[in-house]
Amino acid sequence: MDKKRILIVLRHSPYGSSLAKAAVDVALATAAFEQRVDVLFAGDGVLQLMRDQESHGVGRKNIGRQLASLPLYDIERVYVDAEAATRYNLDTDNTPFDTQLLSPADMHQLLVAYDHLMGL
Amino acid sequence: MTVVLHTLCALPSSAAFRDCIKVARAGDAIVLLGDGVYAALEGTPACRELQATRVELFMLRADALLAGVSQSAPNIVSIDMEGLVELTERIPRQLAWY
Amino acid sequence: MSDLSPDAFDTEGFLRNLSDWSPDVALHIAAAENLELTPAHWEVIHLLRAYYVEYDSSPAMRPLVKYCALNLGQHKGKSIYLMSLFPGSPAKIGSKIAGLPKPDNCL
Repeated sequence: MDKKRILIVLRHSPYGSSLAKAAVDVALATAAFEQRVDVLFAGDGVLQLMRDQESHGVGRKNIGRQLASLPLYDIERVYVDAEAATRYNLDTDNTPFDTQLLSPADMHQLLVAYDHLMGL
Repeated sequence: MTVVLHTLCALPSSAAFRDCIKVARAGDAIVLLGDGVYAALEGTPACRELQATRVELFMLRADALLAGVSQSAPNIVSIDMEGLVELTERIPRQLAWY
Repeated sequence: MSDLSPDAFDTEGFLRNLSDWSPDVALHIAAAENLELTPAHWEVIHLLRAYYVEYDSSPAMRPLVKYCALNLGQHKGKSIYLMSLFPGSPAKIGSKIAGLPKPDNCL
């Protein structure tokens, strides 16, 4: 039987709450259990992709570094809300993985391509 | 067949609200719950934006009553928890916005 | 032997503070797991610590295998190889000896 395809939609800024950390944990745990999972950074979630996040001495987990391990978890497809990336002047060329920028219509098409959606 | 069921549990001023109506398309359904019910207020900009998406609109009755949202737009269907469960059964692809 | 007090470890034997770790502590934890550390073990232990610095997390099995393949060569990037060094649950036991927190994604 085909495995269900799961899309995790990461929508929150990395350090404003614990939601981003939870979303990354869910993504990694889902992939660790050999599920087919891809991720979409939408809205303020794109801020998780900021370069040079420095958590040293702050006592917080470094979301940027944790996300850098996505390819090791075989999460190969990383989609990004193009409008939000533009809004924050985010450079997606230098992320630790390849990203694909999506318009709102593209994002809707993406949602439809998955069996399960998880918004976090 | 409805494509995506969006559960919108956030104020009209929130990023979650913006993101939700940006992505939702005709053929989807949006359920307003919690703070999301204020978007049902008839005549408000949020309500107009919501209707412009041309999605099926629902709101959770108990949450709307609690918030005092009695003047809701006519095409927003008020449902109870059972109705919400039915929707999730009918539309397996669900996305929460909060 | 390490001179750390029992309080330095959690109930499952994981070191509470990353900075308390030393090779001596590793030997101590390994002994508690009935493991004798060979150079092959040390190679993976140091790699686990490097992983933690790079990704701010302890790896699950899948990324650990891949990380070993990338850094130690394909022949060591295999679960069977890691299982031979750290029988049972290599990511969990390896992390424990390397002084890392218990991996989140391990049963």
